Amino acid sequence: MIEAAGLVKHFRSADGRVVKAVEGVSFVVGPGEMVGLLGANGVGKTTTMRLIATLLRPTVGTARIDGCDVTVDPLGVRRRLGYLSATTGVPDRLAPREVLQSFGRLYGLDQAVLAHRVPALLDALGLGDCAARPCGRLSTGQRQRVSLGRALVHDPPALVLDEPTSGLDVVGARDLLDLLERLRGEGRSILISTHRLHEIERRCDRFLIIHAGRIVAAGTREEMAAAPGGLEGAFFAAVEPGAHP
Amino acid sequence: MTATHATPRGQAVRAIAHRDLLEFVRDRRTLFVTLLMPMAMYPVLALASTLGLRTALSDLEARQEPRSLTLALSGADADGLATRLEQVAATVADEPPADWPARLTTELVPARAAQRLLDDGMADVWIDTPAGTAAALDGPGTVPLEARVSAVRPIDSRGQRHLLAVVRALAEDARRRRIEAEGLPASVLEPVALAFAGGSPVDGASSMEGILPTAAGGVLVLLALLTATGAFYPAIDALAGEKERGTIETLLLAPATAGEIVTGKFLAIWTVTLVTLLVNAVSIGLTGLVLLRFLPAGIDLGTDVARLSAAAIVTLLGYIGLASVAAATCLAVTSGARSGKEAQNTLTPVILLVSGLAGSALLPGAGGSALSALPFAGQVALARAALSGTAASTLALQLAISLAAAAAATWLLLRGAAAALADEELLFRGPDVAGSLFARPAPRSRPTPMQGFVAVLVAFAGLWYAQGIAPADLGLAVPIQQAALVLPLIAVALWQRVDQKTTFGLTAPGGRRWPLAALGGLLAGAGLFILGAAATLAVRGTHLSPAARDLATRIMELLLDRPWWLSGLLIALVPAICEELFFRGWVLAAFAGERPGRRRAVAAVLLQAAAFAAFHLLPERMPQTFLLGAVLGWMTLATGSLLPAVLAHLAHNAVPLVLVALATEGHGRRLAAGDTTTLPGWLLPAAAVATVAGLALVHAARRR
Repeated sequence: MIEAAGLVKHFRSADGRVVKAVEGVSFVVGPGEMVGLLGANGVGKTTTMRLIATLLRPTVGTARIDGCDVTVDPLGVRRRLGYLSATTGVPDRLAPREVLQSFGRLYGLDQAVLAHRVPALLDALGLGDCAARPCGRLSTGQRQRVSLGRALVHDPPALVLDEPTSGLDVVGARDLLDLLERLRGEGRSILISTHRLHEIERRCDRFLIIHAGRIVAAGTREEMAAAPGGLEGAFFAAVEPGAHP
Repeated sequence: MTATHATPRGQAVRAIAHRDLLEFVRDRRTLFVTLLMPMAMYPVLALASTLGLRTALSDLEARQEPRSLTLALSGADADGLATRLEQVAATVADEPPADWPARLTTELVPARAAQRLLDDGMADVWIDTPAGTAAALDGPGTVPLEARVSAVRPIDSRGQRHLLAVVRALAEDARRRRIEAEGLPASVLEPVALAFAGGSPVDGASSMEGILPTAAGGVLVLLALLTATGAFYPAIDALAGEKERGTIETLLLAPATAGEIVTGKFLAIWTVTLVTLLVNAVSIGLTGLVLLRFLPAGIDLGTDVARLSAAAIVTLLGYIGLASVAAATCLAVTSGARSGKEAQNTLTPVILLVSGLAGSALLPGAGGSALSALPFAGQVALARAALSGTAASTLALQLAISLAAAAAATWLLLRGAAAALADEELLFRGPDVAGSLFARPAPRSRPTPMQGFVAVLVAFAGLWYAQGIAPADLGLAVPIQQAALVLPLIAVALWQRVDQKTTFGLTAPGGRRWPLAALGGLLAGAGLFILGAAATLAVRGTHLSPAARDLATRIMELLLDRPWWLSGLLIALVPAICEELFFRGWVLAAFAGERPGRRRAVAAVLLQAAAFAAFHLLPERMPQTFLLGAVLGWMTLATGSLLPAVLAHLAHNAVPLVLVALATEGHGRRLAAGDTTTLPGWLLPAAAVATVAGLALVHAARRR
């Protein structure tokens, strides 16, 4: 389970101003649930996800993964969370198998577990044929799947995915989202953000629309679909009140 | 999904180190540049230097080779002198003395022809011999011989040595004849004869005793530099490279602390650095063996295999510490960089730092246990000490100090790197912040520590160059030096938009208690000068270095030759204001930050005091100026105002003026110049009371 409880994050910009990136964001993503976090650029999506992933410390408020608090036990949170963003890279000179093994060891998995899990994960991600090829020679889609494998190697109950389909072609994006649906089916909590609303409008269980650092609208897939203009209409209505889709 | 469990202690560190090493080994280009290229370069460098050495040796050999010497003899007794010289030559033929020519020829010519012979190069020297010259050699007096040489073809140094050897042999022959004529034994001329029991220990071979440590100095500095370069590329790749590739997030998402991540990366970099050290050390050793074959036969290096082996082990152990500091330094310096290019730029000063520190160990007189603690310089000094046959116990102590200091420096640097890694601003900053050191930031209360550090560097550079253009007269030199300190500071302070009032402590201390702080500053400053001077006299006596004596003389000239108000302005007031604005203003504010904790305050005060002491350039004055700087720093932090420090500095520098004014029969003048070991009996207790009272008053006026 992923919980955000009154998350606030303020930065100080280069010119000395205080930038209020996130202003009191709260939500829950239950087990076996996939929730879409929608918003324009610069409204606080990535900051919210980084706060949950312990990459940033909240100014006020907190977040919990399976009850583990980001401000109290960040290492515990990291053991329970798989995180992936559009900018998360993979080491060019290592092969997918080595990446997964290396991160598996980093997460404390012993060799016997890794010997079983890494090949299974590579197969599940469709990377079996290129498991020994350096990541620098893989396609963008393959690299993103390696990245997802890295986020899954410790078998976390929760996933936070910040624009995971960015840079992927239509087929690559579909395959990745299919895989995420399978992971949800295993009971994992998934929080996903994307600009491509059509990709997730039939896959997510619920949606959160964030604007200016606040959750301005929330609803189930059915509620959003029922809105004028569907999910896209609900999105524009939330971020540009008065505007028509 | 599986149950989560903690990563076993150390496993994260090992996993990161393993991953980074694997990546490094896969990077063939860096592998080649770091490890293989030095191995390939040594033979080329050695061959070039050997060719130069061989050319120099053969040139030296040619210059040492005896040549023939031709003497043009003119005058009435030319024939007689020529005969005596032939006899002398025959006497030494079996065992020629040092510098004896390959062949000695005499040309008997008229005086008119002698000069032409010289100018044509047919003779080296022309000696005119009046009648009775040869006979006078056997008499009791001294025979004056005037040697003339050509202005067109002057005799070379080898010819001169040959001529002197011939004259010495001629004199020796004359002495022997005179002794015999008097009926005395030849032993009269040899009252003492020394012989080594069992034969001469030198055994005729030319010795290079003591040359090896000197000659090896350059190689040791090179080894230090090349070892450090082993850390450069892995360090750039370790954090800045990860940020550039977007993989740093993946590490920060793992259940490992910033300290564990940094430690894992350090272990990988250190391993590469150690391999670089080993490769270079082996290459140098093999190159040395090859070079030995090029040395002329019979040269003794003045050392033996056992000492060389022991020195090699000590050097390697010391350099393991050096590799550790180099790896940690490179990691710490690049930890704030966001890209490989930025990391490369920040590493450039590290190359200069390593070269400078390592090279400083070659300065005359450098060495000892204290230097062992200084990274890079200490290891070079330790290796030189080992090569010069220093006692094993002393070497062991120096090695222990060197390794302990390296471990401490490594720990501190890794702490800094971990702090930078955990810094959100450094991690996720945008390109607009990337050049913040040189960008004009938003107005803020005080400079950053980095800007304090840069200010110190710029001030040193300014002072250094000002030394070159400043005249000997302090009336001009002091304003130039102070301007070199303060003018760049004013420009930077305005550019960086810091709060001048906060940064430079431009407030009255303690509200209504400011008179207490002012009086306290004056008393403590004056007292500290007397106490410092007394301590310096007690420790060093009146033995000043030439530079210190020169400065003391110039100060005295200023005090005696200029009006008192001008002396006071130049020696007391201007330095008190300018140096306080710089050290207790900008530098202390930068290092201490806003509302510093006790540890940071102490560190800031000590750091700026060290910079203040170093700024005075003369080693014998540094302890005194360090103490003064520390006290002035405390005053500024305690009161939040620069006023007590300015007044204390003013009083401190004004004491010599007062002493000169009160001088009786030169005693005060000598005291002011540090040229006496006696002080009036009441002075020290008075100074101690003034210091304690002054500090107490400042303490009473501190910020609440």
